[in-house]
Amino acid sequence: MSTEAAMYIALAVHGLTYGMLLFLVASGLTLIFGMMGILNIAHASFFMLAGYFCVTVLRWTESFWLSLLLAPIGCALVGCVVERFFLRRIQRHGLGHIGELLLTLGISLIVADAVKAIWGTGSNEVLGPVALRGLVAIGGWEYPAYRLFIIGVSLALLAIMATLLFKTRLGMILRAAVSDADMVSALGINMPRVFTVVFGLGTWMAGVAGVAATPLLTVFPGMADQIGLDAFVVVVVGGLGNLVGAFVASLIIGEIYSFGIQFIPRLAPVLMFVFMALVLSFKPSGLFGGRE
Amino acid sequence: MLQTKELFHDFDGLKVLFGVGLEVKEGERHAIIGPNGAGKTTLFNVITGLYKPSSGRVLFKGQDITGFKPCKLARLGMSRSFQISGLFQGLTVFQNVRLAILSKRGIRYDLLRRVDRMHSITEETNEFLARINLDSERSVPANMLSYGKQRSLEISLALARDPDFVLLDEPTAGMSPDETRSAVDLVRRMTQGKTMVIVEHDMDVVFSLADRITVLDYGSIVASGTPEEIRTNRDVQDIYLGKRRS
Amino acid sequence: MKSRNRFLPLAIIVALAVLPHVMGPVKTNIFIQFAIGAVYAVSLNLLLSFTGLLSFGHALFFGTGAYATALALTHIQGLTIVPSVMLGALAAAAIALIVSPLLVRVTGTAFAMLTLAFGQLMFILCLKFREITGGEDGIAGYPVPNLSLPGVHSVDMADSFNFYYFAIAVSGLCIFVMWHITKTPLGSIMVAIRDNTQRVDFLGFRVPFVKAIVFVISGAFAGIAGSLFALSHSVVSTDGVFQILVSFFPLMAILVGGIGSFWGPVIGCGVLTLVQEFTLRYTERAELVSGLVFVLVILFMPYGAAGFWRMLGARRRYRSADGHSITVEK
Repeated sequence: MSTEAAMYIALAVHGLTYGMLLFLVASGLTLIFGMMGILNIAHASFFMLAGYFCVTVLRWTESFWLSLLLAPIGCALVGCVVERFFLRRIQRHGLGHIGELLLTLGISLIVADAVKAIWGTGSNEVLGPVALRGLVAIGGWEYPAYRLFIIGVSLALLAIMATLLFKTRLGMILRAAVSDADMVSALGINMPRVFTVVFGLGTWMAGVAGVAATPLLTVFPGMADQIGLDAFVVVVVGGLGNLVGAFVASLIIGEIYSFGIQFIPRLAPVLMFVFMALVLSFKPSGLFGGRE
Repeated sequence: MLQTKELFHDFDGLKVLFGVGLEVKEGERHAIIGPNGAGKTTLFNVITGLYKPSSGRVLFKGQDITGFKPCKLARLGMSRSFQISGLFQGLTVFQNVRLAILSKRGIRYDLLRRVDRMHSITEETNEFLARINLDSERSVPANMLSYGKQRSLEISLALARDPDFVLLDEPTAGMSPDETRSAVDLVRRMTQGKTMVIVEHDMDVVFSLADRITVLDYGSIVASGTPEEIRTNRDVQDIYLGKRRS
Repeated sequence: MKSRNRFLPLAIIVALAVLPHVMGPVKTNIFIQFAIGAVYAVSLNLLLSFTGLLSFGHALFFGTGAYATALALTHIQGLTIVPSVMLGALAAAAIALIVSPLLVRVTGTAFAMLTLAFGQLMFILCLKFREITGGEDGIAGYPVPNLSLPGVHSVDMADSFNFYYFAIAVSGLCIFVMWHITKTPLGSIMVAIRDNTQRVDFLGFRVPFVKAIVFVISGAFAGIAGSLFALSHSVVSTDGVFQILVSFFPLMAILVGGIGSFWGPVIGCGVLTLVQEFTLRYTERAELVSGLVFVLVILFMPYGAAGFWRMLGARRRYRSADGHSITVEK
């Protein structure tokens, strides 16, 4: 086939990679929202935090795999602390959603500046694992192995998440809680603990995405800006609280981005925006969104 | 004044209204009753513009208003009360009523005059408050009123715009017998000469207010007529007695 | 009204008039920044406390005003100061008009996210279209023009005293006009929308239209704040006027000063300005400290300074409908 077709396919794979990363971040965000009604503005901050944790772990151990294991756990721990000691307090105040939005906003500001204070304002390059540095030949073309790895890991996580949600008792509780948290609580389930678990899970996934993205983005104080914004767009477009919607929207946005940057580089961000505006004009609750 | 023709409505496949043909004459006080789930609220919401019916038409003063939005209906002279919280909770009783009066006078986007300096508006609001016996509570925030008074305010907000056609959605829900009596009195006084539709469960209220009654069951009209006719109607008795037995 | 209150505005005006002579040029400039921030925060407050809409992208209007003024002064010869500020306001109002069809249809979280997206979009666009906006470096070197009454008199605005009086006068006027608007029928409708949007619709008011008007007003005043910002600084850049912190600053000011009150943002802006100046003396990490203050306020004093005040004064008795007294405490 022609090199043109190869380019299109490469662009598509590229878009798929970003889309998958985006989904890892956005899925946590949409789950947290669907279940707790909190739109976590600091979610992308965990993505970035994981990148920085990865840098630190690499400095100690030189092992990418170890950082892929440890950094997201670190993120999840921070996430649990935030939920337990900050978010939970807020709910008592009766400011409602505005209070939670503002709190997570404050936290994102703090994290953004804290990383500068702790790790400096410079950019840190991270080289991916040696095993994945080359190209892989599939069907006559070659793709960067690392990107395929990201897609693979994301799909694996997706499968794990789906199994968790649909085949386990915890998953059943989570799905019920998305529909009606009060009712689940009335059934005797310890909702606050469930919330902490969900928050930890969501931030863990953002952490995995953060580590996975480090060879591509490099680690610097602004690394979460793009994906943070995109994750919100995904959540709003896909339907607040809807995982399938988040998946579809992530893929679409990933592809729009990839092709957009190639063909109309200056207007690429506008494209995504236009997409969101279009979706919202026809269906204000998002592609798969129901009543809020 | 109001007519619905062959009104059907369903929500995502759940059929609620079947060929409802309601007719309300001018100046009439018309009650819609029926067991829970009969579709009274849906019918109400279709008439008042909250839902566009799946099929059928709604005519108001001879004009086809099917699918018209509530804002437009309000400007055509229709006004409704809400069963659950239609008040402006953070505003005082005075401010609540004043807003309705501003709407009635067509003052909307005025940016030049301060509303507390508009004396005629203030006068009219005070007058209205006196008529509904809430003028001693004019500075109380709406959410601090007793439940009964909140409901009265709710009904009054619908009436403050001096509409030709007013619809009341279960106005006495949750009221004590005393409160119900004053509410009925209020409604009777304030709807003199107007056309009114009321959805109610309390039969005493219905029979003391209504000129005509329509009974709804499973989304269709079972009977429609004067209170006497309804009281003696076999089908209606079956519905109510039958339900009570189970 | 207590007689004490009648002297207060007079005292304030006198204090403002005397200020630049008493405090040095550095502190005077800080005060000007405070005034600009106050106008900006009050404009956002019209949306938040009065119409119940939380916007995360107010920098969109602030930055538009700043860039419009800077660009106008760079490209239009002989433009005087008042038209340059008016241009900023008009540009911001135009942007508000453009985005309003989409914004009026959404509320709550979706609205917040949409405004965030719009703000970021503008940031990125300005970064990319370097030929017009100068990209990251921004626009610099534009003059601070004179204030001129045509044919009569021309006042040099490069002089810091004159500029101070101009900036304060404009800020004061803006805040006064916004205060006035909250007292008009439109103001009543705005607050009603905040409490019960559906009922407002049923009362016969066209809610989307009213919201659009509020956006334009709020945007225009934020634009004026941006213009003043451009005039009081020598450079306008994306990081300075469009970045996300610029959208968050007025939110913080409103929160610290107290959501739900008109003067809250002014107080909050004052507090934040003082905090920033104070921390800058000891550490560069002003953002970190601001973020911490913000989080602490939310956790422990969510109703801000005004709420605290209200709590002190709210040991008023409200007579309930039954004639008993209830003590109201928040």
